[in-house]
Amino acid sequence: MISGALLLLVLPLAMAGIVYILLRWLSTLAAWLAVGTSLALGFAAMTLPLDQPVQAWGGRQIAMGEAVTFLGRELVFEQSDRMAMAFLFFTAAGLFLLAWRFAPRALFFPIGLGLLSLLSATLLIRPLIYAALFLEMAAALAVFALQAEGRAPTRGGLRYLTFTTLALPGVLVTHWLLERYAVTPDETELLSSASILLAVSFALLLGAVPFHTWVTAVAGDSLPLAGTFVLTVGNGAVWFLLLDFLETYPWLGSYPLFTPLLSGVGVAMIVIGALLAPAQRRLGTLIGYAALVDSGASLVALGLNSRLGVSLVLLSLSVRPFGLALLAAGLGGLRARVGGGDVMTEDLRGMGWQAPWSTVAVVFGALSIAGLPISAGFACRWALCRALAPSSLGTALFLLVAGVSVMIGVWRRFSVLLMRPRSPEDRSVIPLNPTEGRLTAAVVIVVVAASVGVGLFPQVVAPLADSLAGTYTFFLP
Amino acid sequence: MPTLLDLVRSVSFLAAMPAVAGLLITAGILVVARDWRLNVIALTVQYFFVVLLLTRQIQLEVAAVKGLVGWLICMVFYLTERRADALERPAEIAEPVPAQRWQRWMMSARASFHLLAVILVAVAAYTAALRIPLPETEVPRDITLACYLLAGLGILLIGISEAPMQMGMGLLTFLSGFDLFYVALEPSLAVAGLLGGVSFLIALAAAYLRTVQAAGSAEEGAA
Repeated sequence: MISGALLLLVLPLAMAGIVYILLRWLSTLAAWLAVGTSLALGFAAMTLPLDQPVQAWGGRQIAMGEAVTFLGRELVFEQSDRMAMAFLFFTAAGLFLLAWRFAPRALFFPIGLGLLSLLSATLLIRPLIYAALFLEMAAALAVFALQAEGRAPTRGGLRYLTFTTLALPGVLVTHWLLERYAVTPDETELLSSASILLAVSFALLLGAVPFHTWVTAVAGDSLPLAGTFVLTVGNGAVWFLLLDFLETYPWLGSYPLFTPLLSGVGVAMIVIGALLAPAQRRLGTLIGYAALVDSGASLVALGLNSRLGVSLVLLSLSVRPFGLALLAAGLGGLRARVGGGDVMTEDLRGMGWQAPWSTVAVVFGALSIAGLPISAGFACRWALCRALAPSSLGTALFLLVAGVSVMIGVWRRFSVLLMRPRSPEDRSVIPLNPTEGRLTAAVVIVVVAASVGVGLFPQVVAPLADSLAGTYTFFLP
Repeated sequence: MPTLLDLVRSVSFLAAMPAVAGLLITAGILVVARDWRLNVIALTVQYFFVVLLLTRQIQLEVAAVKGLVGWLICMVFYLTERRADALERPAEIAEPVPAQRWQRWMMSARASFHLLAVILVAVAAYTAALRIPLPETEVPRDITLACYLLAGLGILLIGISEAPMQMGMGLLTFLSGFDLFYVALEPSLAVAGLLGGVSFLIALAAAYLRTVQAAGSAEEGAA
């Protein structure tokens, strides 16, 4: 009998090896293997029963709910992990699909599968504290995927690794402090120390202000889709870990400073992102600041300390990949046409005519990450603004202005993208020779359609987020 | 033939303040020096002193394995830097910089500034060890000082450099400082193994980025 937890850990690792070998000669097959593995595991995590084994190949059985011991620690796949694992695998599948067209020979495929294995271990290992070690390993492995071919060493990868390493001691020591508190409950200062350590550690891991420099660096100088993997799948694992911590240690949520701290940091992220996003000359860093605004919105939602707040956090996590993935794909497409370097505003002149589908991806991705209508991000952002309006109208307004601010930044690039390229005689010419193939167009259309579909019919995703929020009980009644 | 235990016993007199002083010197060299040979040697010696201090907290065999992981990391760094040096050398030959012999013994402004920063961090670590001691039942005073020194100098090294190898060494120095403290709280083999794995992956990531950097320099030189 194969344990479900083991399947989720070992299969991506094994496939990573195969994909790595195939990548050199059969890049399309390698990409589709990565997509297929992620989709299959996502469906398995979501649909297979936990309480009874399922017949698999060769007479073998898969028991999804069966625990497995690893180095003396238990790995177990529980009901509450279903949606989290499905989110990780489906998001990864979408990113691999885009990478098939926009980064076909990148190390992102095998390393991404390896990361999925480590991030699964992060969410499945008990006690939770060991998750920090797997997260750290994932950060180190991510450096290989983040490094774009033919570019200078990624600053973003190193910063991501640095901030994750700095967060490690806090999470590990918290476990010891809580064990000591269980023995000596009179020492309440142990709880204060544990709360502070956890808050700082998660701020580092989530890229909260003032530890946000890795977010913009990852988005700015890394392989765009790998950067998005870190900001969606990696960050998603951290969010689920945070929710698990809050569920396991409910006193954290009832700490007097919990709500104001979350809201304050969230607003700071929104304000900084909104102020700096339009000022960026590089499209990559603009994406980083847009991601910062989105993370800030999620923190503000968690600061509501209610089931609605948790639902909005989960909804935000599930729609974020649409915006970031489209932006990253578009950036990757545009970068390929400017020789793989940084995409500065002046490099984009008239590029929209040569790379129309990359341009479409950038525009629709920006709409989603800015939370504007007819995009997936709108469903979440609008719901959050409505939830905030009665109690904190100022924050709701900040959030709306931040969305517009991000869109202004993208719009400036969009206008440059559609400028007519000038001939040596300084006459306007429009070369009608788009270099992107039909397959690229099909992939972009599918993802854009999914984003618009979720934006128009949020009732498809919202109930899933709400039912998952129901499994958490740490918030105030 | 002497056993590992005999060898450790013969140097056990170092496993207190002398080891802490050794850690200060080696971590200080990592911050101040920019010669990769010196840095790799300093990191190797640093792991030796860390192992010496670890022997007071955990079983000798576990400490020895941690030391072996550290020395393997040093080997990875050495081989990477040698390869990178070979790749970058043609570019350097193309633009030779005349160096006076006396200049080798002069300290650059950068190194002087970094030395000053090392001294400041050392003073801060000493003050922290006095004012914010780690739980004395688990961690002795001198090891507390070693933890603060390594963590502080590791963060300093990360902060002042953007070069992959320097950042990698900074991260490993920081982790060594944390490891000295954490083994006293959680001496399990699982944590030791996972922390070893983390260190090794960090070293591989830094080495990979250094290779990319060197390959880029070589291409520029060829162009």
